[in-house]
Amino acid sequence: MKTRYPHTYVLNVMSEDHPGIVAAVSQSVEALDGNIDACSQTVLRGYFTLIMIVSTPMPIDPEQLAEKVRAAGGASRYQVMVRAATATEGYVAVEPCDRFVITAFGKDQPGIVRRFSQYLAGKDINIVDLYGDRSGEEFVLIGQVEIPAHWDIRMLQADLEEMGNELGFTVKLQHENIFVATNQLRLTRAPQGSLQYATYR
Amino acid sequence: MLRTDEILSTIQMLHAEHLDVRSVTLAINVEDCVAPSVDHLCRKLRQKIISRASRLVEICQRVGAKYGIPVINKRLAISPAAALLAGHGRAAAIAVAKTLDAAAAECGVDFVGGFTALVHKGITAGDEVVIQSLPEVLSQTERVCASVNVASRRAGINMDAVHQMGHVLLRIAQATADRRGFGCAKLVIFANIPEDNPFMAGAHCGAGEPEAAVNIGVSGPGVVGSALKRRLALGDKLTLGDLAEEIKITSFRVTRVGELIGREVAKELGVAFGIVDLSLAPTPMVGDSVGEILRTLGIERIGAPGSTAAIAMLNDAVKKGGLFASSSVGGLSGAFIPVSEDAALADAVGQGHLVLEKLEAMTSVCSVGLDMIAIPGDTPAETIAAIIADEMAIGVVNDKTTACRLIPVPGAKAGDVVNFGGLFGATPVIEVRNPGASSAFVRFGGRIPAPVHSLKN
Repeated sequence: MKTRYPHTYVLNVMSEDHPGIVAAVSQSVEALDGNIDACSQTVLRGYFTLIMIVSTPMPIDPEQLAEKVRAAGGASRYQVMVRAATATEGYVAVEPCDRFVITAFGKDQPGIVRRFSQYLAGKDINIVDLYGDRSGEEFVLIGQVEIPAHWDIRMLQADLEEMGNELGFTVKLQHENIFVATNQLRLTRAPQGSLQYATYR
Repeated sequence: MLRTDEILSTIQMLHAEHLDVRSVTLAINVEDCVAPSVDHLCRKLRQKIISRASRLVEICQRVGAKYGIPVINKRLAISPAAALLAGHGRAAAIAVAKTLDAAAAECGVDFVGGFTALVHKGITAGDEVVIQSLPEVLSQTERVCASVNVASRRAGINMDAVHQMGHVLLRIAQATADRRGFGCAKLVIFANIPEDNPFMAGAHCGAGEPEAAVNIGVSGPGVVGSALKRRLALGDKLTLGDLAEEIKITSFRVTRVGELIGREVAKELGVAFGIVDLSLAPTPMVGDSVGEILRTLGIERIGAPGSTAAIAMLNDAVKKGGLFASSSVGGLSGAFIPVSEDAALADAVGQGHLVLEKLEAMTSVCSVGLDMIAIPGDTPAETIAAIIADEMAIGVVNDKTTACRLIPVPGAKAGDVVNFGGLFGATPVIEVRNPGASSAFVRFGGRIPAPVHSLKN
């Protein structure tokens, strides 16, 4: 992980969503001479969460940064967590992977995410993006996953459909290129075995 | 990373709107199968088809499963049979057709096109054998499809061939009288036949095509119809321009899907990827109808004034979306209006809203011609030929492909309903007005000269 300064930290903030959170957090980082090397935020049903990679020229106490962010939040009472970032790279699959999308729709019930994620974990399939939403009585689950090349997709599809039948869910596993082709102007990426799928960093 | 709304909108197209790939057609050059002995010719033909196409169905299923997109029809097209049959007689033609039929069955495909003669300027001995054997070929085989090109922008209209086809159609209808003249549904008579069309019954592997190529027919009208209905349900004040835009976007998406699947199938088969054909090909299934799109566009009765303008807009918007989506567009690429295969069109014929002359007018702005139209069995051959000549004139003068797939139903009168089954659908027999009144024109024969291609008014 190449950062601007040698000392790297991962910062996580959770709060009720409102304007000014990123401004408050980035001001706190700057006050400690820090640099924001990467950041990503998500808002889910009114709750805001932010993850940042921050680097500093001199070592700092992670708790000092966390405290500064909490203070900047004031009455908003941010939940903040900071720790030294030690991971040099993300999860690396042992063999080439191809990216697929799982979609599942059905009547909401406890255990849906667990059933599907346990199945995927058992097959060494990495979830790179996950979305779930209950609307009315219905639950929709969408997972973007990396599937090791040795699996026969039709067998995985059969397993997932069977699991869907048990739960009363419609489940589909499709290569991501179908979604790229139908929605984006960019070219679809090369089919399976391409090295750009081999790792997720 | 894909966005959730993108994934959801594709899922909507797939599950609620039945997005599919309508046809994957493998075109195979078989000119090297010529042989002096019929047996040897047929052996070579079978061997070539099996070696090229035996994996087609399995690969389509595998690739379709990977993307979650069904490939509805898997088909074959060969180079024109007339080239194989030069120097042979009608018995050889029937043997070749039966070989094709059996090879197609062995490969698991439902149709093989290419029992074809190109006679727009003149008829060779091989062409004559193909044309004269059509009644036997189309009655004694299940999967073989035939086409005859009788006109072109450069040659004009071969009226001798047109006249002959009027008689041949009646003979085919008689040979398949037990199936209401169904043999005629497997024969298309063309002006400006495309070399790379993936759709039946007119598919063949034309001149200038590679040794083998995969050509794709994109999804049907159901997807476009649903997209329009969804857009209208949003309740905004929409203009026809907005609706054309919606058609264009949907066409872009279905074309991208077709090309994605086609390229992967071609790669797995080890053959060239040919073209994506943008045609909207309806099926008798409710909702999968070009006629229904016209109704959604506000034409209450299909065939009413405005129908031609509406289908012109649909046809053009489909092309614009598709042309941006793929650089390999070809084939027929237009909205089809095959009457029996489109429940809404067949219904409009039954109600008397849609007549032969209006269908003809509509084909001047869409694909592909007077298609799957049942006419009375007692229509004179010269009148059938004259209907064909009219349709060919539209193609030749407007520099486009047009075609006729007319079925003179033995024993049937206008208004009788005939059912051809499956994808071919059911339709009332349409009225042919003024039968017999163009005989002298047709009997002149010869060639209607190629039209001027400038001064286009």
